Amino acid sequence: MTFSLNLSLSDLLLLLPEIFLTCWLCVVITVDFVSPRLPKERLAYLSVGGLLATLGCLAWFDMNQVTGTLFGNMFVLDRMAIFFKIFILGSTILVILASIEYVDRFTLFRGEYYALVVMSALGMMFMASANDLLSVFVSLEFSTLGFYILVSYLRDDMASNEAGLKFFILGVFAAGLFAYGISLVYGETGKLVFSDMASAPATPGLIIGFLLIFAALGFKIGAVPFHSWIPDTYHGAPTPVTAFLSIAPKGAALAILLRIFIVALGTFKPTWIYLLVAVSIISMTYGNIVAIAQRNIKRLLAYSGIAQIGNVLIGLAAGTKMGNDAILFYLLAYLFANIGAFAVVIAVSQAIGRDEIEDYSGLGRRSPFLAFSMLLFLLSLAGVPPLAGFIGKLYIFIAAIKEGLYTLITVGLINIVISMYYYLIVVKKMYINEPVDPSPISISGSMKVVIYVGLAGTLLIGIYPQPFTDWVVAATLMFANFVAPAATVTPPSLLIGG
Amino acid sequence: MLEELTAGFPILSCILFLPVVGAIVLWFVDDEDTVRSSTLTIALVELALAVFVLLRFVPESAAMQFAERVQWIPALGISYHVAVDGISVLFVGLTAFLTVLVVVYSWDTIRQQVKLYMMCLLALETTTMGVFLSLDLILFFVFWELMLIPSYFLIKLWGGGADRQYAALKFVIYTLLGSVFMLVGIALLDINYHQWASLHHSDHAYSFDLLELLTVPIPISQQILIFWLLFLGFAFKAPVFPFHTWLPDALLEGPIGMAVVLAGLKLGTFGFIRFSIPLVPDASSSETIVMVVVVLGLCAILYGAWMALIQPDFRRLLAYSSVSHLGFVVVGLFALNYQGLQGSLLTMINLGFSTAGLFFIAGFLYSRQQTTELSAFGGMAKQVPLLATFFLIIGLASIGLPGTNGFVGEFLILLGAFEAKWWVGSVAVLGVIFGAAYFLWYYERSMLGPLGSTVKSTMSDLQLREMIIAVALSIMILWIGLYPSPFLRIMNGSVQALVDRLHHQNTAALDNRMTERR
Repeated sequence: MTFSLNLSLSDLLLLLPEIFLTCWLCVVITVDFVSPRLPKERLAYLSVGGLLATLGCLAWFDMNQVTGTLFGNMFVLDRMAIFFKIFILGSTILVILASIEYVDRFTLFRGEYYALVVMSALGMMFMASANDLLSVFVSLEFSTLGFYILVSYLRDDMASNEAGLKFFILGVFAAGLFAYGISLVYGETGKLVFSDMASAPATPGLIIGFLLIFAALGFKIGAVPFHSWIPDTYHGAPTPVTAFLSIAPKGAALAILLRIFIVALGTFKPTWIYLLVAVSIISMTYGNIVAIAQRNIKRLLAYSGIAQIGNVLIGLAAGTKMGNDAILFYLLAYLFANIGAFAVVIAVSQAIGRDEIEDYSGLGRRSPFLAFSMLLFLLSLAGVPPLAGFIGKLYIFIAAIKEGLYTLITVGLINIVISMYYYLIVVKKMYINEPVDPSPISISGSMKVVIYVGLAGTLLIGIYPQPFTDWVVAATLMFANFVAPAATVTPPSLLIGG
Repeated sequence: MLEELTAGFPILSCILFLPVVGAIVLWFVDDEDTVRSSTLTIALVELALAVFVLLRFVPESAAMQFAERVQWIPALGISYHVAVDGISVLFVGLTAFLTVLVVVYSWDTIRQQVKLYMMCLLALETTTMGVFLSLDLILFFVFWELMLIPSYFLIKLWGGGADRQYAALKFVIYTLLGSVFMLVGIALLDINYHQWASLHHSDHAYSFDLLELLTVPIPISQQILIFWLLFLGFAFKAPVFPFHTWLPDALLEGPIGMAVVLAGLKLGTFGFIRFSIPLVPDASSSETIVMVVVVLGLCAILYGAWMALIQPDFRRLLAYSSVSHLGFVVVGLFALNYQGLQGSLLTMINLGFSTAGLFFIAGFLYSRQQTTELSAFGGMAKQVPLLATFFLIIGLASIGLPGTNGFVGEFLILLGAFEAKWWVGSVAVLGVIFGAAYFLWYYERSMLGPLGSTVKSTMSDLQLREMIIAVALSIMILWIGLYPSPFLRIMNGSVQALVDRLHHQNTAALDNRMTERR
């Protein structure tokens, strides 16, 4: 492997968003350090400003198709990387806006909170661009480091500490698996960059190596059977962190999964499809069935998130260009609905101080706006038309049906019905039950912004999805060389269960 | 490909979105009486638009009329495509008509959360209209699913029964279960179109448009799979025996207005005649499928009628009679001949007047005795002669007495059934007899004979608003019963085209026509 470190200025342009955000991160920390009396709210807006500037830069890249690779193919900026970076930055901005009020609950280090969130976002941006196993490992650990701290930020709260500890121990374990997987893959192929591995023969070492890597990434996205940390961590972590954790790392890890499965392992599709189908079916079914029994809204959303990841894996199992488009589109729909739902949870818990589903009784009377928003977000997560979630599910199912994955689709559809059941339980509490305390709930301005953005995204993607489909179709164009051409006649090996 | 006539003015979009826009406007109205009167105004304007479409509709034509088409999601081939033809246009009128009556009925029977109720009602009207108007299968599915949400709230919030929570959830889960299978069927149609189009170098790769899907041949094995998937969706909604168990619960526990819409608008069987039969004609006319579906229909006729015989509660009786009537419709549809299809279509419209009418009667009874149990009534004809009279007129229409609309429809169905298979017709006739039995028996015990012990002597006869409802329904019943030809003329063209497609068209001929078109 040859490294050329003599970067020209035009090469560095590709890194501009990351470089800028790194500098901005230092600015945020410095400002907090220099003037500790500054209201922490200002720091939030300062961070959001930097993130918005980065977002604008990436949008400019996307429009002008600025793409390229750096550091001997370790870092790639293609349109999919740009898509995921925008996805990550968008969710980070919304999470910060949703945190502003919540941060007052922290006893110490309120200013550093924002810096840590931005740092995690920075790590995930590198994940979106990671194009070989080493840079994946480094960026993965970089972003997770921030999360380890963020999860246990409520330092006097037992649940938060427990969440942090569980997340840390299992996270380190996953990192170990990942490193071991890398060593096996490198030992078998002598390659680290994904596109160089494309023609490697399937040896036992390579297979075990990739299984270990898949397990580590499965941990990040919370697919069954690597999900065991999710419920407790989501439950115990500060709610804005839970929201962040439930969206951004999943997007970043999926970017890596897409690169691994489509680019590096594209030729082994007949083999890995069984793995993905199995994980997808288990995730959907387990997530949805266990969600029914939940009493806590954060746990309910945690399990529903596991099930949603099962849906996303359907698109990955399809393994076609259309499947990839569908994953990206689904993530967009999921982003708005999930961040919106968590924003409502935060707003309610600010007023009541608890997150039990029981506490949502009579929300329809106490705050018609919050209840109606929650209704739309939950219906979008369930996939009710014409909301974003419906188009996302439709996209994924069409991609999978085209590949003849009927068993997977049937399980997926039955799961929609199951999920509708528990989402409706929350709806019932909000609209049918009488409130214990009928006083109205007030919502802060920044929280309103987050909920409005969530609503706008959920409705707009549902009603006028064309610009978004165009965007995701363009974002996965570089996979066109790696994906097997769309089969007009379904090969028998793909007819799982028929 | 069916001919399409476009109108200069997007009148169907107005019909489709007027109620939901009205519902949003209602949000800003606070006064309850203003809410009621504005809802009535919206419903009346909607009815006027629907009547206008009916008047301007060219009868005896198979063309899709007033068509509007805009691309919606080009990446997936989804478009916003609405139009009416002889099959759907009458349902549009019926929906608008029933909504007006439901608003009138709810005027003083709904006392709490009036605004929300009216908003749900209008939202329900939009979604129902959407189901009837959509020619794009995804658009259709969107409205089909959306309908669940206002229905859920209507049953749950304004239902009278103690088990309304259970009924609402059961309704949603059952319908959803059916429709997810339907979605797979729709997706398979799309994939089939895609494969065919890529082979023939067509310009757009995907399409969910009914008219485009109709031009593509489908292998018979695929057709059978698609038929059953669509069947599940429509059968749960209709509901076809044995998928009917949610219906009695929803009708009994929900408010009368909801019951009128649920039982009066036969969305499930509309799905069969609109989508299943034309899209997969070879599967729909294959021996096994016809046999299974017709036997299910016959079971529904007999089972529904028998269950109705023993129900002490009038609304439960109506629910089972609904199941029985739907059996008739299914038998008529799958006779797959002209009389059968026309009879089924007309019967679906008729049930919108008679079954829905009986639910209004049930509502009138309920508002007098706070129950529809038989034990609360008896000999009421002397107390409330007008109510008893209209009860009889609408009831006789429901059992198909000559001179009422029910007769025309059922007669055509039986004709079609006898023509297709004699034994099907003979079994179906039994249903008519049972139908007469359960209705007349209930009527005799509730209205005739000595005054029941629990009947209040101060019970009032029909009020003005109730009179309006009863008279409007009776006029329609007698009109279709005595002079059905305007209605039949509207249907003729489309029904004939459907029969042609079933009997004369094979895929080869279709292929030729497609190549000629290029």
